[in-house]
Amino acid sequence: MSYTLSGRLQSRLAAVALPFLVACVVAVVLRQWWPVELAGAMVGVGLALDLAYHHALPYQPGWAAVPLGLLELGLTMGLVRLLDVAAPLEPALWFFAGSWLLAQILAHAGFPLLRLSYAEDGGELGDAGAALLLAAPATVLVVLGTAAATLPPTVVLGAGVHRGPIVIDHSQNLVGEPGAVVEGGIVITADDVTVRDLAVVGGEYGIEVQEAENVLLEDVSISGATLDGVHARRSSLTIRRCEVRMSGRYTQGIDISFAFDLPLSKVTDCRVIGGQEGIVSHMAHVDFHENRVRNTTLRAIAVTEMSMGSVRENVVEDAVGVGIYCGDYSHCDVTENAVRDTRPDLSSSDRGRQGHAIVSHFGARAEVDDNVLERNASDLHAYSDGRIRVR
Amino acid sequence: VGADGSCAIVGGGLAGFIAFATLRHGGLDAGEIAVFDTDPDPVAAWRPRAEAIRQRRMRSESDGHCNPRSFPGLAPREMLREGTLRPLLETACNRYRPTVEVFLRHVEELRETCGWDQSVRQHRAVRVRAADRGFEIDGEGRFSHVLLAPGHPGLAVPQELASDPRTVHAYAPHDYAERVVVVGAGMAAATVWLNALADGSEVVSVRRRPPLRRPLNVPRPLFSRRGLAGFHAAGRVERAALLADLGEPSYPPGREWDEPLELAEREGRFRVAESVDGEAQIVCATGFRRGYDHDPLLRALVEEHGLETQGHWIVLAADATVPGLTDGTRTLAVSGAPAQWAYPAADTLVGMKYVARGFLRKVKACRTR
Repeated sequence: MSYTLSGRLQSRLAAVALPFLVACVVAVVLRQWWPVELAGAMVGVGLALDLAYHHALPYQPGWAAVPLGLLELGLTMGLVRLLDVAAPLEPALWFFAGSWLLAQILAHAGFPLLRLSYAEDGGELGDAGAALLLAAPATVLVVLGTAAATLPPTVVLGAGVHRGPIVIDHSQNLVGEPGAVVEGGIVITADDVTVRDLAVVGGEYGIEVQEAENVLLEDVSISGATLDGVHARRSSLTIRRCEVRMSGRYTQGIDISFAFDLPLSKVTDCRVIGGQEGIVSHMAHVDFHENRVRNTTLRAIAVTEMSMGSVRENVVEDAVGVGIYCGDYSHCDVTENAVRDTRPDLSSSDRGRQGHAIVSHFGARAEVDDNVLERNASDLHAYSDGRIRVR
Repeated sequence: VGADGSCAIVGGGLAGFIAFATLRHGGLDAGEIAVFDTDPDPVAAWRPRAEAIRQRRMRSESDGHCNPRSFPGLAPREMLREGTLRPLLETACNRYRPTVEVFLRHVEELRETCGWDQSVRQHRAVRVRAADRGFEIDGEGRFSHVLLAPGHPGLAVPQELASDPRTVHAYAPHDYAERVVVVGAGMAAATVWLNALADGSEVVSVRRRPPLRRPLNVPRPLFSRRGLAGFHAAGRVERAALLADLGEPSYPPGREWDEPLELAEREGRFRVAESVDGEAQIVCATGFRRGYDHDPLLRALVEEHGLETQGHWIVLAADATVPGLTDGTRTLAVSGAPAQWAYPAADTLVGMKYVARGFLRKVKACRTR
């Protein structure tokens, strides 16, 4: 088909109207902005490319939809990453694929059925198309206005030490400038909170999250806490790119507990050093992946007390007693981790603490697959009705 | 029929048939439309020509059909009928060419469902004259909206060969002699080359210049507003020159054409010559006469109403209506090859639909309806 520029834009806007609406609905349901941001990125890339297509493609054969679709997918995902849109990869790909398919169906069947002269008009949709061109900027303004009105406020902490504890009891973004340090911890008691680019020093808990959902801790470093680095109770949160350094005898790096009925919590790309337990869940639904945990004295990564957890692609080193632990009727998927140099706990006579890389204990079920276990005192250990199944 | 608001189509070939189907789709009853032609079969003129050149496949693609809506085209229909994705994949790559059989079956099906036969008046209209709020067609009545689809005004044969007893036109029934000269370089000529070679003949191709290789009659952008905007904006002289250029003979690229010719050339059974020699048979694949002046009805229309012309073409509006004879109460439009002034590919099925849709818009916008 030979599109006019106006025809390309009108067809594009008409084809994305439904996906955009769906994205808005999903955003409302999830109470997150990424569906709208993702749809916006897709539409923006598409419209920008339409300008380029217009000169490059006086005629566009049907097969070109596939390579052009892949190009648009690549640029859309690149833009999503560049803008740091928190869209999960798989839903984002499905959303794009569904939108692309719908656009093809509309371009080849829907629009020609609705408008006799669609092809000879170069993709233009008459008065409806012109109205779309006018409505699109208005829609963008409405969405941006809604975003501005509903997005949490952002509080920026400047460089230097800020005396804590800071209590966040309503939705907001707390963002630190380079060199910003909070001394004495942060307490989060509200949903939809983001803490980013901050160093937290001291406090019983570095960051405490109580009965809050949709919490994001990103690019934070925590040190000097006397109990837990991150202490989450009855909460659902994502922790991304963090560094937690613990030194006390009874400390834990990250503890997410008592949230089995809440959405999945995630810990990813974090470094946890020291402490009794590195990353632990009690009765929660968790996904721990791509973290590095070392120098723990009890267990490096623990999924216990009827938790359901995925432990993937983590690196565990120099743990005393146990590397990865699945305990107390929990169900664990332990895949593609590397566990090295786990040493026996010489102070304990407990046979379950004899330097095992992966342990399943007390009715727990651990599915293990493709893990690299090196220089551990023992690789796999199941006891007290705990089971390990190697896939 | 024959009152204010009624429609007439002069010419019951494919252009008229498509216009009729489009009007019916637009909500007109069959009783509101009169079609003037001596033969009620819409492919009565087209079919013998296709048979004469043993045409197996259409040059047009999936959207080369007579339905008012472009979707579903012939490819998805064939996909459903045959239960294979092949037609759809081929059309995505612009490689789908429906067979003549598929096309004729489609015409027959549409003819049965659209009420065509009850609208056809078996009468050859020879004169259309402007009247108050309409047009008089011979003595058949007055019509507010008239579409002229007279078809091609006869076969073109080079003057120097017209009286040669060896001459036969490609579109007339014929067999092949042992040694055949084929004059021309378009789709019909290429088809005749292959036919004659397949029959074991030796073929001499006589042509003025090497043939153009174009998938369709005109470049694809000229099928849509993208290319048409510039075409319509061009001055008359420039537009006429472009039409003359587009009228040069061409046939599609592809191995199915090249390989048999290359093989025959190597065997010494196909060669190109500048002029006709002493061959036993001369097949003129030289297409049709061009221009309104070869068509009695159009010529009379121009002369009686002083219509503007440029070269062989009647000057038409962008929607193929005749500007001086079209207003808020009446419409006179031209379809088929004579409408190339408005749409360079007007002699294709897509072009005929372009005109038909424009005509429908005029009819529906008419105050007397």
